[in-house]
Amino acid sequence: MILEVDDRILLQAAQDGDLDAFAVLVHRHQAAVYRVALRMLGSDADAQDATQETFVRAWRGLGRFRGESAVSTWLYRIVTRRCLDLIARRRPTENLQDVELETVVNPADSTEQRERLRAVTRAIAALPDEQRAALVLREFEGLSYDEVAAALDTSVAAVKGRIHRARLGVLKQTTAWR
Amino acid sequence: MTAGPEQLPCGVELERLVIQVTEDQQPADPAHQNRCPYCQSALRSLRQGWGDVQALTREPVPIPPGLTAQIMTRVRTLAHYVADYVLLGHRRGETRISHNVLRQVIQRVATTVPGVVFASAKPAAADPPEAGRLSVAIRLVVAFGPTMDALAHDVRQAIDRRVPKLTGAKLSRIDVIIEDIAEGPTEPDLRGRG
Repeated sequence: MILEVDDRILLQAAQDGDLDAFAVLVHRHQAAVYRVALRMLGSDADAQDATQETFVRAWRGLGRFRGESAVSTWLYRIVTRRCLDLIARRRPTENLQDVELETVVNPADSTEQRERLRAVTRAIAALPDEQRAALVLREFEGLSYDEVAAALDTSVAAVKGRIHRARLGVLKQTTAWR
Repeated sequence: MTAGPEQLPCGVELERLVIQVTEDQQPADPAHQNRCPYCQSALRSLRQGWGDVQALTREPVPIPPGLTAQIMTRVRTLAHYVADYVLLGHRRGETRISHNVLRQVIQRVATTVPGVVFASAKPAAADPPEAGRLSVAIRLVVAFGPTMDALAHDVRQAIDRRVPKLTGAKLSRIDVIIEDIAEGPTEPDLRGRG
């Protein structure tokens, strides 16, 4: 067992070519990267590919990363861009809603609850890509507005607008509000 | 022409209620909201819907087994393209040892020293360059307690004594950098795993 070593130390070691240090970073952050990819892309196979590609790009980009943001924010930025690229590439012939949506719903939930959560999953998948990215980072990963803005390379005001529209879109799709 | 904001029959905009529910804000007009059946009904639906979103965010997402290994296989392949080597001369040929291998040997030796929690080594060609010789900078995270200067001395000695025996390479310089003091919870040691 090794004690918790700060990301910044591991990053510096990885920048010096230390593969083992990079492996610790991968182990530490792969779950978050995979979750974002799965919510963005809707399929486990695509999410695994995007996760692998994210860390390959991170390894290649180590020399350019100066530590202006947290390692996690940097990785969120890479995976989000990768997902948006993949979505853009598979259109117009393939729409996200046509891709099999992997449901990450706990089997212990009741049938009714499972169906409602699937409806939320579908509603999130139907959002415009930029809105979905902002919503996933904010609601599912718990990032602050500042962190979402950094990950998406945009302003806090733009992020707040996207998240608001995303919440509105999901709730209009899934609730009988009228 | 764009459609205006969606409204309830009572004239309240849906967006206002969504903000109230999702941002946990107070109503703009509590008196109206308390007696309006349209607002009450919409709020119930929106709270249920937002609760479902929150429930989905709490659902665990299982990570595919072997993902770290798959990622590191690709990364190691990339790293090997740019690997440096130390050259050990021999009458009947030459032996090359990758800096990646030397790095792992040095790190493993360093972490045998009590008080060293994490070690990351960066081997480099000796200055001036000489076959079979290299210099190394090693960054450490150490436990709180041992005298750091003595710890650095022990690390230097361990590397100097064991690395030439294990690899055949000689070390002309060993720089020790103590980067941090360890604290916090433990996590699995991934060193040496592919």
